[in-house]
Amino acid sequence: MGLCLFINPIKGAGDDLPDVGDHAPNIAQIDHYDLSDIDLSPYAALMLPAHLDQRFFGTLTTKIEGFLAQGGTLVFNGHVAWPMLPEFETFVPLESQSLENLIIHRLADHPVFEGVDTQHLTFRRGVAGFYARGYNPPPKGAIALHGVGPDRLPCDWVYHRPEGGRILMHAGNDLWMYAGSKDSTARIVPQLCLWAGGDDHGQGGAS
Amino acid sequence: MTSRIAALDGGTYYHHRTLYEPRYREFFDGVIYTRELGETVLEDYDTLIVSCRTDPSVLRPHREKFRQFLESGRTLVIMGSTGPAEWISGIEWHFTPTNFWWWKEGGSLGLHVTAPDHPLFDHITLADATWHHHGHLIVPEGAVSLIDVGDLGSVLYDDTVTTPGRMIVTTLDPMYHHGSHFMPATTRFLDGFLPWLKGMTPS
Repeated sequence: MGLCLFINPIKGAGDDLPDVGDHAPNIAQIDHYDLSDIDLSPYAALMLPAHLDQRFFGTLTTKIEGFLAQGGTLVFNGHVAWPMLPEFETFVPLESQSLENLIIHRLADHPVFEGVDTQHLTFRRGVAGFYARGYNPPPKGAIALHGVGPDRLPCDWVYHRPEGGRILMHAGNDLWMYAGSKDSTARIVPQLCLWAGGDDHGQGGAS
Repeated sequence: MTSRIAALDGGTYYHHRTLYEPRYREFFDGVIYTRELGETVLEDYDTLIVSCRTDPSVLRPHREKFRQFLESGRTLVIMGSTGPAEWISGIEWHFTPTNFWWWKEGGSLGLHVTAPDHPLFDHITLADATWHHHGHLIVPEGAVSLIDVGDLGSVLYDDTVTTPGRMIVTTLDPMYHHGSHFMPATTRFLDGFLPWLKGMTPS
């Protein structure tokens, strides 16, 4: 299994974020701005935090496309605001944050979310709205994994690039925010690392 | 005459929403990408906002620039989670464990207004400044706390005495939450805070 490289959030992100290293020991982590200089070839996956300097990341497009073309996996969390990759489009917020509009629906099974109850994604301690409040529009050919609200707006999707590599998009806080949780969302971090670090990049289903 | 305001943009999605989208765009005469602060001339601005959650490692090399900005009598707004101790003198910030769930547990954050006559309160209420915070500040002698947390210290103070300029310092992070489409109080805070800043008479 390949190594997942987690990019640490910008240092202003505060002290309120869990350290994913405590819950997924077989990973690598680097400081945010070290991404420009690091050689990505030893890594299977690049894991981006929602607290991302997207203007900085947008200067690395050629490097990231090269990484993907070699079969790499990119996991993106957050709202797309700046130009970064051609597969990304600007975040579309929900028009209304009513409870109905915040409910998460599963649209396709995926190893990262196997055994994760969508009720546990919709609600944390009985409160809805932590998981997604809109979506980053997927490219044609992407597979929507979760939809938010009655229109099932694709807040999570996976895309197998024809040029090689995979992108897993989550339009919300870091998926590793669920590290060590007490409900079925605790499955996400280990399953995410297993999937992203895996070398089976076949086109079958939503894998 | 209104204040000419510049704000720092850390390149994050939440700064993008706060600084570039129409709701607040007219309040900012300049938006400075933080990594370009070194080559940016600040002479044109009366007020500089260090937007919440700006990475202090990017600000550290500009310590002297911030000092000079204040020495020239201008206003520096320092928002929450920016690690100001790393890039400016005289800020005493203490970490507080964050209680995200205070509103659900029937408790109180313990916030209270300590300077009700301050002009900011013509623009916001205490409720507009009430969400979880990440620390408290020890107020320098002669500065005015606007909102205290219990008897620990301040979450928002106004300091016109420590430097020839003015420092408005808070542990609150409204841009992050507004920019995440989260917590309406943070939007209400900015709805009042930015017009107040804009209406300040330049020195």
